[in-house]
Amino acid sequence: MKRRERIAWAIVTAMAVALSGCGQDTDGDDAAEVQLAFVAGASTDFWTFARRGCEKADRELDDVSIEFRFTTDGTAVEQRRVLEDLQTRGIDGLAVTPLDPGNQGPLIDQLAGQMPVVITDSDIPDSQRRCYVGTNNVDAGREAGRMLKEVLPAGGKVMLFVGKKDAQNAKERIEGLMEVVRDTSIEVVDIRTDDIDRVRAKANVNDTLVKHPDIGCFVGLWSYNGPAILHALKDAGKLGQVKVVCFDEEDDTLQGIKDGYIYGSVVQQPFEFGYQSMHLLAKVTSGDASGMPTSRQIIIPTRTIKQHNVAEFMAKVKALRRGESI
Amino acid sequence: MKKDLGILLVFVVLCLVLALLNPRFLCATNLQNTARLVGMFGIFSIGIGFVIITGGIDLSSGSLFSLLGVLLCLGLVDWQLPWPLVVAAVLGLGGLLGWFHGLVVTRLGIQPFIVTLCGLLWYRGMANFLADDSTKGFGNCQGFETLAAFATGNVLGVPVPFVLLCVIGAGAWVVLHRSVYGRYLLAVGKNEEAARFSGVNTKRIITSAYVISGLLGAVSAVFFAFYANAVQPSSHGSFYELFGIAAAVLGGCSLRGGEGSVVGVLIGAALLQVLKNLVNLLGIRSSLDFAVMGTVIFLGVVIDEILKRHRHQRGLRKVQEADSP
Repeated sequence: MKRRERIAWAIVTAMAVALSGCGQDTDGDDAAEVQLAFVAGASTDFWTFARRGCEKADRELDDVSIEFRFTTDGTAVEQRRVLEDLQTRGIDGLAVTPLDPGNQGPLIDQLAGQMPVVITDSDIPDSQRRCYVGTNNVDAGREAGRMLKEVLPAGGKVMLFVGKKDAQNAKERIEGLMEVVRDTSIEVVDIRTDDIDRVRAKANVNDTLVKHPDIGCFVGLWSYNGPAILHALKDAGKLGQVKVVCFDEEDDTLQGIKDGYIYGSVVQQPFEFGYQSMHLLAKVTSGDASGMPTSRQIIIPTRTIKQHNVAEFMAKVKALRRGESI
Repeated sequence: MKKDLGILLVFVVLCLVLALLNPRFLCATNLQNTARLVGMFGIFSIGIGFVIITGGIDLSSGSLFSLLGVLLCLGLVDWQLPWPLVVAAVLGLGGLLGWFHGLVVTRLGIQPFIVTLCGLLWYRGMANFLADDSTKGFGNCQGFETLAAFATGNVLGVPVPFVLLCVIGAGAWVVLHRSVYGRYLLAVGKNEEAARFSGVNTKRIITSAYVISGLLGAVSAVFFAFYANAVQPSSHGSFYELFGIAAAVLGGCSLRGGEGSVVGVLIGAALLQVLKNLVNLLGIRSSLDFAVMGTVIFLGVVIDEILKRHRHQRGLRKVQEADSP
């Protein structure tokens, strides 16, 4: 019994020592350095651009170290783990891309109680976040809707493709698009989802070509939907016959615009998400509130890439991917 | 063949219903599209079927597609190596990883579920790492147009993956149902110890099943990569192993090992793809996609079980009748 008691005491003491360390800032060698983190969604090109933005900010800001984290499997559960681990480690400021904005409000509030939190990509307006830095996806959807009216002046059938229909940015893009085409003769036949599976995305396009041979235009709401549409049309020998409007800047999408098979793409500027959110956080943590807009929102405008400006945009994307600063 | 009757029935009924509700199901383009998918999913399902027959399981296929797809892109686009070399390397690596799974399972005696689960995690991680978390694409396939045209092309109007599936399927059928090796495979799955005492080199037989699974997985990986024309390492092929396992089980492979038929696996793989096709052609809400699939798999397995019992009882009755004077 004696021995067991001793071990028990040892464990209790060790835990007490460990716990007493919690909540305190680790006074290491680089204690003077402000530690910021950017927590992105699943690893995709989109977030790689945001990472470049963070890296640029890191180079520009002295006494600030920036950590960029992906959420490996793209789920809200995994993201919570990443966020709580960062909180435990005691960082000074956080930018996060909520994967489930509808339900992550309490988590954001909990984090915001300890450090300034900035939200990117999908806003949670009623949370304790300091600011939102990102796209207005309803506007982006409207932009796509306007392009639809340009390619289908006489109206026609349209099919939408997206990974998950319940994702916030998908919902907002659809909302914006629908609003523009509501009183026109453009008819949105359906929305097909693929659960972020490129193979399924392409098969969905193939099936649509079979089911609706009279389709006038395809809209790809997520980045990989554009290439999926393009390749399905190519295989079916229908390039150019069905119009295409899409989002984001995958290589094949841009090439498709250049070749004239895709009418246009609405692109966001994830680089700016990373760059501006980190600069804002650096200011906030140093007690400087000058960068904070009164609306608590920094809307990074979207761009519409069509044939006339695609070459310039492609060069920029290439440079970003190579990790060059712009 | 009798064993595959249940699943065949479900498949035929499903196709008939679909053709009646939307006659476009039978148009050439749709058959071509569906055949291509059946080909890609069927090839690796046969491999998984072989592993399941030995009483094992292969959970690593989906991640393997991602890893091999990334390597394919790296080799062809980034390093600009000649395509025959890259394809050979990818197929070789697939076989090698399968061989490794087999070795660990047979020599160290670790359960296949765990070995291939580690594969599932490890390959996905390596794919993410090698691709530096970014999507790898083939672009316009400069320098390997022949390979791209082959992988996405048709032979006399029939998609290449489907042609290959027929060839591989025929080969696998002969191997499993008409060769000594096939007998051994089934024997090992049914009762490894008994097989070993009968002089079968069970370790080698089991390892070979994993090699076959790895190799066929690599073949599918090449087709999947070219079908999408890009590989997003974090999600490419994710959960595809479950399609393989579902196809094998639907096709009459017992997860306890020792049972299975190549024809069954092929019908199982085709059934799953026709189901996806059905959801789209009938305009069923995408949200119900998985529910429809779950229902049909469930019905397939239940019908199969009922038919099996029915056959068994009829067999018993015949024996009783023969016994009674």
